[in-house]
Amino acid sequence: MIIIQCVDNRNGTFFNRRRQSQDRLLRSRILSELHGRRLWMNAYSLRQFQTELPLEVRLSVDEDFLTKAGIGEVCFVEGLPLLPWLDRIEQVILYRWNRDYPADTYLDLALDAPPWSLAAREDFPGFSHPMLTKEVYIP
Amino acid sequence: MRSHLRILFPALLLCCIVLVGCTPSFQSQTVYATLEDLPAYSDSPYVVLNDNQPDFSQEDMSTDSFESYSPLDLLGRCGTAFANIGADLMPTEDRESISSVTPSGWINKEYDGQYLYNRCHLIGYQLTGENANEENLITGTRYMNVEGMLPFENMVADYIQETGNHVLYRVTPIFEGSELVARGVQMEALSVEDEGEGICFNVYVYNVQPGITIDYATGDSWEDGDAPEYDADDSATSTGNTSNGETTYILNTSSHKFHYPDCSGVASMSESNKETYTGSREDLIAQGYEPCGQCNP
Repeated sequence: MIIIQCVDNRNGTFFNRRRQSQDRLLRSRILSELHGRRLWMNAYSLRQFQTELPLEVRLSVDEDFLTKAGIGEVCFVEGLPLLPWLDRIEQVILYRWNRDYPADTYLDLALDAPPWSLAAREDFPGFSHPMLTKEVYIP
Repeated sequence: MRSHLRILFPALLLCCIVLVGCTPSFQSQTVYATLEDLPAYSDSPYVVLNDNQPDFSQEDMSTDSFESYSPLDLLGRCGTAFANIGADLMPTEDRESISSVTPSGWINKEYDGQYLYNRCHLIGYQLTGENANEENLITGTRYMNVEGMLPFENMVADYIQETGNHVLYRVTPIFEGSELVARGVQMEALSVEDEGEGICFNVYVYNVQPGITIDYATGDSWEDGDAPEYDADDSATSTGNTSNGETTYILNTSSHKFHYPDCSGVASMSESNKETYTGSREDLIAQGYEPCGQCNP
């Protein structure tokens, strides 16, 4: 499965059981890069996507989606641990807010160390963020 | 033109922070957290209060933007700054100079090439666009400003820009007695239209700078372990030091906190829980006592 996760400057992901941030242009980019692959998320994440979902998106919403996602399918993850699924992760797409936010939950993968390697990196403007960064890591 | 509603917050915040649950039902329990209960600064720039639930009422949940700042008190100190921040309050121009404002306790010094203090906005410029408003600027350490307050301001500003929603936002400087420099600030925020789903926090941010000791009474400062010489009588009065090197503390036998005798937490302590102790700090900690988060004995 392919993981998508958003992080702040210190790899924080959540504060007080809430996402640190969101950006409509980021969501639009995620949806446009699915290329027909199924997108998994939980009900909490659906609330930020639901008004912008094109009909052609193959969406699955499930609280246990990290267990159920198959090979090549995309999982949008917010505030959940990834380490238990390490053996099944084919790729991690990290979106950096490039901002300092408060955090009490952090990305639990050390993507700056083996077996992970950075395969691609790209900056792009967001709607409420001057510059977002996309990083693609492969094991 | 923005309305600046002047509000008076009496001596309440010198004594206690009243924290009420705020989840959408607005029915949760009331919790009172005194300054005495705050843990001493360790390595995090802030601590969470009342499980991150701010103290706003149902009546506050309006979609009308406003900002209000307390008038300076007789010591020239700021009080609570309170706003309902919408996109209409956010700045559209670059920040102007704020150097004309001299907040209480402003004795700035340079350490390792960087100034200790910032003129620290209670409500950050990126939220309400306030420039040299003396009712919104306190003497705050660089650490409190950048590591403590700024991440919360960023989160709120980006949320408002993204959603167009409003956020109730209140920052209260917490002073100990007549000290001129705040010990810290309480920051509370709650998003209105989604009833806290987007933004909800209640934290206390420490006005400290690692490696530096601050005299909060005056704003003077020095590197840790490099304290200036004081007259022996003054020292005994303010810190409880005795001539034989031992120190007199006041113990709260209920909360198991210990204080300097002149700490304001002592004044509000129940007599039945109060005990005077003379000896070493280490012995008290070994007995299970913790230092007060305000007077930092």
